[in-house]
Amino acid sequence: MMHGPPGPATKIATAAPVLRIGAVGKRFGTTTVLENCSLDVSEGEIVTLLGPSGCGKTTLLRCVAGFWDADGGAIEIDGQEMTQVAVNRRPVGVVFQSYALFPHLTVEQNVGYSLRMRGVPRSEATLRIAEALETVSLSGVEERYPAQLSGGQQQRVAIARVLIMQPRVLLLDEPFNALDAKLRGSMQVELRQLIKRLGLTSIFVTHDQEEALTMSDRIAVMRAGRIEQAATPDEIFDRPATAYVADFIGTSNFWEARADGGRVVLPDGQTVETHLDGQAQVMTRPHNLHLGSAEAGAWKGTVAFHRSVGPLVEYHVETSGGATVKVAAMRQERARPLEDGAPVSISVIDPTLCAVYPL
Amino acid sequence: MAEAALPSGIGQPGLGERTVDALLSGRGIWPAVPAIFVLMIVAIIPFMILLSLGFSDIVVARGAIVSQTLSLSHLSNALSDPLYWTTFQRSLSLALSTTALCFVFGYPVAYLFLIGGRWTKRLILVLTIAPLLTSGIVRTYAWLVILGGRGVVNSTLMNIGLIDEPLRIMNTYWAVLIGMVQIHLPVMILPLIAVMSRHDSRLVEASENLGASRLGTLRHVILPLSVPGIGTGAALVFTLSYTTFVVPQLLGGGNYLNAATMIYEQVVFSLEWSKGSVTSLILMVTCLVVLVTIALLTNHFTRWTKGREG
Amino acid sequence: MLRKSSLADTLGIGLILAVALLSLVLLVAPSLIVVIISFDTRAYVSFPPEGFTLRWYAEVFEQGELVEAMLNSLQVGVTVTFLCVVLGVPTALACARGRFRGTTALSVFVLVPHMVPGIVLGVAVLFAGALVGVSPSIWLQSISITVFILAVMVRTVQSRLLRLDPALEEAAANLRASPFQSLRTVTFPLLMPAILAGAVFTFVEGFDNLSVAIFTHGFRDRPLPVELLALVQYTSSPLVAAVSGVQIVLAVVALIAVSLSIGLDNVNE
Repeated sequence: MMHGPPGPATKIATAAPVLRIGAVGKRFGTTTVLENCSLDVSEGEIVTLLGPSGCGKTTLLRCVAGFWDADGGAIEIDGQEMTQVAVNRRPVGVVFQSYALFPHLTVEQNVGYSLRMRGVPRSEATLRIAEALETVSLSGVEERYPAQLSGGQQQRVAIARVLIMQPRVLLLDEPFNALDAKLRGSMQVELRQLIKRLGLTSIFVTHDQEEALTMSDRIAVMRAGRIEQAATPDEIFDRPATAYVADFIGTSNFWEARADGGRVVLPDGQTVETHLDGQAQVMTRPHNLHLGSAEAGAWKGTVAFHRSVGPLVEYHVETSGGATVKVAAMRQERARPLEDGAPVSISVIDPTLCAVYPL
Repeated sequence: MAEAALPSGIGQPGLGERTVDALLSGRGIWPAVPAIFVLMIVAIIPFMILLSLGFSDIVVARGAIVSQTLSLSHLSNALSDPLYWTTFQRSLSLALSTTALCFVFGYPVAYLFLIGGRWTKRLILVLTIAPLLTSGIVRTYAWLVILGGRGVVNSTLMNIGLIDEPLRIMNTYWAVLIGMVQIHLPVMILPLIAVMSRHDSRLVEASENLGASRLGTLRHVILPLSVPGIGTGAALVFTLSYTTFVVPQLLGGGNYLNAATMIYEQVVFSLEWSKGSVTSLILMVTCLVVLVTIALLTNHFTRWTKGREG
Repeated sequence: MLRKSSLADTLGIGLILAVALLSLVLLVAPSLIVVIISFDTRAYVSFPPEGFTLRWYAEVFEQGELVEAMLNSLQVGVTVTFLCVVLGVPTALACARGRFRGTTALSVFVLVPHMVPGIVLGVAVLFAGALVGVSPSIWLQSISITVFILAVMVRTVQSRLLRLDPALEEAAANLRASPFQSLRTVTFPLLMPAILAGAVFTFVEGFDNLSVAIFTHGFRDRPLPVELLALVQYTSSPLVAAVSGVQIVLAVVALIAVSLSIGLDNVNE
């Protein structure tokens, strides 16, 4: 479904993917929640399913875990078809949003639960539990109950509990939701490092862009039950496959234009190639635009607003057409930032970084 | 369908596992089937039989029904019998008075629970729940002791010289009423507490912040919000006091005939089962009428809970 | 700005609180008086009591009929509890977890025998039994009380189930537990307090119920309430006070047991 300029193909796996989701669909009654979702996840890769609530990301995760049966399509782990395999036999580990720690069991019993279910002898279990807790930097709380732990500690227990199973795929459903903002940031970094160190293949589910950009090797942006684009954060940012993805991630500028004879004319006079025909919408990021003096170009406007965001200055420019265009410039570019009300002209820095989408 | 041979450790769930899984995930109604079966046999069908008996002539011999023919005579006899009317009237007025008084005495306790601290709450819960765990006879007997000729009231009054002869409190309407109210008080208090503790305590704070006196808060905020609890409590107290068997008999002496005792006599003593059936049915219907009225009233006073229409 | 509550307000609230205190005293006083009387040395009921003796308590356990009645009631209580657990817990699971149409209908259906006056149920069972030749007995009494009180067990377990995080059982499954293991190690331990609380109430009902029992008990298997009724009507000795005292003590013990298991927030009756 790529309509923008073709980018580098998403990671061609040299080995077979650990997890293969093939054209999976899911219906609840007459409502279609998932439609034709396909995704390959390689060994050691972290993929995030990103989208607003109701887009189907959690549903997809639950289908992989086995809590819900997919209506069509296949889910394979290490080449094995999982459709007939019961939840408790799938090689996946799930970390729930609420952590779902067993309130009536101690930390030790929680972490060692899967071992107990498989009949692992106590002596071995005790060792592995201690190991797992050390991996998540939470030794010494074995005797406590979940209610006596802080939110961050509970999360570590939930993670240790599944790590001990050595699952082939780790599934995490919005695991940072319950933490406060500061803790969230440090835990995200720590968890990514842990997963990478252990070489675990993981799928995260979140609605938080920042989180997705921090944690993932690849992001799968979902909308209304479909995967709109699955690519690295950079690709998604630079070459969003659809208007939705462009709008969802990062700041974007949209305007309508006419595609004619394989080209679209940009407001500043440059052209960009496209295979579309007829009315279309063009998108580009603020940092791909440059502000010059009013006489310098054809795309004219007035600065309506500006603010500093870190090393950048973000300008909101009202064009003669009435639309507001956001332009980002490095602060050092000018001795002083442009004042509100200053007349300017906008020019596109690199036309190939503009994307053309159907209307 | 997976055709490839799967390594051991991965496989389909067995029958036992699927059974338990179905039990846990509620995929079907069958876990409840034994209960449904028992309820049908021991409750629903007997009710229907009760209905049929009220509308037929039967002959009873040696504790078993021998013959049965359709007849409305029992119902018409009952409805035209003045004794029936008096008895039911009496039962009804007793039950309604009990319900009203239980509210008067019970609501303040619920209010105290609402504004009280942790230990007050605990004390109230203990004092309210403990009586419910003892039998009705034990609680009624206590009143026999208190109101009897040589009971607490009379002895105390005589000892301090207010009266010379014991007052005849027992075997009067008042004795029955007092006993009924005290015995059913917990049944009114508990639903009230349940409903009132569910509401946000900040509503009370908001009310006071907006300038209401405590009485005003009670009248305008707490009371309307507790209507569902009042409804439940009233329904329960009414049902219990309307159909009570023990209290009127013990505290009112053998002279006090109410609906329940009448049924008992008809069914167990005089073996007039059709009559007993009709009386039971009238009891049930009248009880239902009052309960529906209470439900309607409660509904009316909780219009604010209805969501958006359409 | 200092706002003094008006005199009327204080008086009004004070009145209400006074009534509340009166009611609380009213709730407990009769039981206390009974317990005091049960130690009276005199052979008739009178107040204030004279002397102190445990004679009546001893005599309670010597009266053959009383002891037999107590054992009967005990049996009924245990039977009713057992049946309520076996029938009610699965029903609660179906009601709380049900993904079929009619979970509400099922809840209401179970509630119906409880909404009807006890005596009507007793009469109905008696008649139905007569029709098929089943005469009153301790078993008829047990099953009819079970049907009467089943709704309480179902409702107690159901409400606990509804407050249970469904992710817990999913987590168990993900952690390699078979459905049976999940039931045994996660669901039941977490349900147990509710089942216990339900068991206390169903046992008490089985033991104390009069309205249903009076029509369905066997002639030779008189339960304690029926026996007590006769005793109270025809005698005046503190024997009844002693029996009452025993019941009151048992009630307090049961209350402590319930409050220790699920805490006193079980007011979802």
